[in-house]
Amino acid sequence: MRILIIEDDREAAGYIRKGLRESGHVVDHAADGEEALEMARASEYDILVVDRMLPKMDGLTVIETLRSENDRTPALILSALGEVDHRVEGLKAGGDDYLVKPYAFAELLARVEALARRRDPETVKTKLVVGDLEMDLLARTVVRGDEEIILQPREFRLLEFLMKHAGQVVTRTMLLEKVWDYHFDPQTNVIDVHISRLRSKIDKPFDQPILHTVRGAGYRLQA
Amino acid sequence: MARRLPAFLNTTAFRVTMLSAALLALSSLVILTFVYFASVGASLRRTDATVEEEIAVIENRVRNGGIDAVNRYILQRSVGGSDFLYLLVHPTGRRVSGNLSGLPDEEADEEGRLQFSYRRPPAGEEESEKDERLARGRLAPLPGGYAVFVGLDVEDEDRLVGGLLRAVLAASALALALGMASGIFISRRFARRLDAINNVARQVRAGDLKQRTPRTMTGDELDELSANFNGMLDRIEELMHRMKNVGDSIAHDLRSPLTRMRNRLDEALRDESTDREATVAQAISDADELLRVFNAILSISRLESGDRRQKLEAIDPQAIAEDLAELYDPVCEDAGISFSAEIAPGCQIAGERDLVSQAIANLLDNAVKYTPEGGAIALRLRCRANGEVEFSVTDTGPGIPGSDRIRVIQRFVRLDNSRSKPGSGLGLSLVKAIAEYHGARLELDDGPGTGPHGPGLRAALVFPAPK
Repeated sequence: MRILIIEDDREAAGYIRKGLRESGHVVDHAADGEEALEMARASEYDILVVDRMLPKMDGLTVIETLRSENDRTPALILSALGEVDHRVEGLKAGGDDYLVKPYAFAELLARVEALARRRDPETVKTKLVVGDLEMDLLARTVVRGDEEIILQPREFRLLEFLMKHAGQVVTRTMLLEKVWDYHFDPQTNVIDVHISRLRSKIDKPFDQPILHTVRGAGYRLQA
Repeated sequence: MARRLPAFLNTTAFRVTMLSAALLALSSLVILTFVYFASVGASLRRTDATVEEEIAVIENRVRNGGIDAVNRYILQRSVGGSDFLYLLVHPTGRRVSGNLSGLPDEEADEEGRLQFSYRRPPAGEEESEKDERLARGRLAPLPGGYAVFVGLDVEDEDRLVGGLLRAVLAASALALALGMASGIFISRRFARRLDAINNVARQVRAGDLKQRTPRTMTGDELDELSANFNGMLDRIEELMHRMKNVGDSIAHDLRSPLTRMRNRLDEALRDESTDREATVAQAISDADELLRVFNAILSISRLESGDRRQKLEAIDPQAIAEDLAELYDPVCEDAGISFSAEIAPGCQIAGERDLVSQAIANLLDNAVKYTPEGGAIALRLRCRANGEVEFSVTDTGPGIPGSDRIRVIQRFVRLDNSRSKPGSGLGLSLVKAIAEYHGARLELDDGPGTGPHGPGLRAALVFPAPK
């Protein structure tokens, strides 16, 4: 993927760039808002990683400007401002996801890859399939192999999210945000408990586990 | 630069009193000068009128008895201590009669009047007086070429008026002197009190936050200034104290996990046999924990700065409680704790869903952390009769002794028996900060525990009735 990092802190930018390159992405860097706007207009990127506070033009304005020019490139906003209405502001400006500093690189990578996926022209799917696991979004049923799996509503949404991001790392924070709509970290590992419940339903009775734990990062659903 | 003036001379009070003293002196000078000129004018007019009357008498005599009658009249009037001065002049300019030796040489004004000095005849009975006296009069022509000069002694009046002038000047000078004296007095007092305040400010700036300005309790503006100043210092001291506390606590609570992490990494670096992958994973989870502490500190500071209080919207506490019950039920089950939820429908509060959820999640986290296996945790939501809405979390853990309840909601305070458990020590202070942000209160009581572990804890968040 081609990723544009817009971040005035060179060290932070270098750290993200290195990490993303190691994960196989092509990375450009802009150090201020105006430069970022020029670069984003000049070439096609798959993802923009935008620091909110930038010299010359702030990150939200950069995104707003691009959106007004019909540029729909997914944008991940990085910010030290983490309150709910800061998030809302960021998303209103046209950001697609919002990550609060300080963050772990794994979190950033997971979100960048999740955003890239979202870009695929997503025909309204009614069925999700990962290996022998199938989810029918209309009938709200889940089948693995020949067996139907009964899930609670929240477990269903959890699995739906994992299946939509199959093959990608999904962090605990992402799950809390997207499945439960919480933007805080409970001290207890509540997500682990829910994952292990889900795992006991979709993995345990079968030979091949498909819900994997990625150490230091989160989970990945992969056949 | 010139030598420094005494402090009080450089005060506003001194300048103000000086200015008002000068104005007072000036205005008394103006008023008294006016009085002076008015009275001098009146006295001159009176003198002139008297002279005119006398001239009229003489003219009358001329008409009735001719110059001789006038001469007789003047001779008769010149004898004795009359205040009138006469001089009958022959057409040749020769002196005929009168008590003046000659015409005065002083110049007359346009009405023919003149002010002059004369000598009393040496034979005069008033030797004690000075010879030279002031008089005022006019030369009036008489038929036949004669002329008569009639004057009136004004020496006494002149003295009176001179006295008045001196009194005017003296009064003005006195007003100025009194004004200056009171200016000095007032400004010294003022300067002393301001000095006291300034001294305190200097000492505080030098680092002694314990200093306070003296109060006079008179309620005047300086006293009010002192009171406000002291109030400000109290606030600053409190903030400094809190900062210091936070600093100490951050040092304390971040240092140990950082040290732990560092040691683990160091060991992995030196010892080939350690499972490096596990060490790195552990280090990452340590770092995550540190980030959590860090975020909690940030959240608390932001909540305490509380700049968004107006933006609270109506939210549904029932949905909040149900979501959290669903989130924590499996957690409890895994920990071997029974979980129950009693959620009343239909309550309403004003707040931010995420923050309220976070506060209750924190209480549930604590409950899970401290409740031993086999215990019970309950989440309740009820609407009180007075419109208040209460979320409560009860557990059957050790509880918190009454004496420690205030302390545990301070930042970073962790009771000794909890040091071994994971956690930042910020949970309850974050809950309290969220509660205060919503105008709600945090109540801590004994829980329903009856077992050997302790009374348990009941932690309740009580939200005010929505407006």
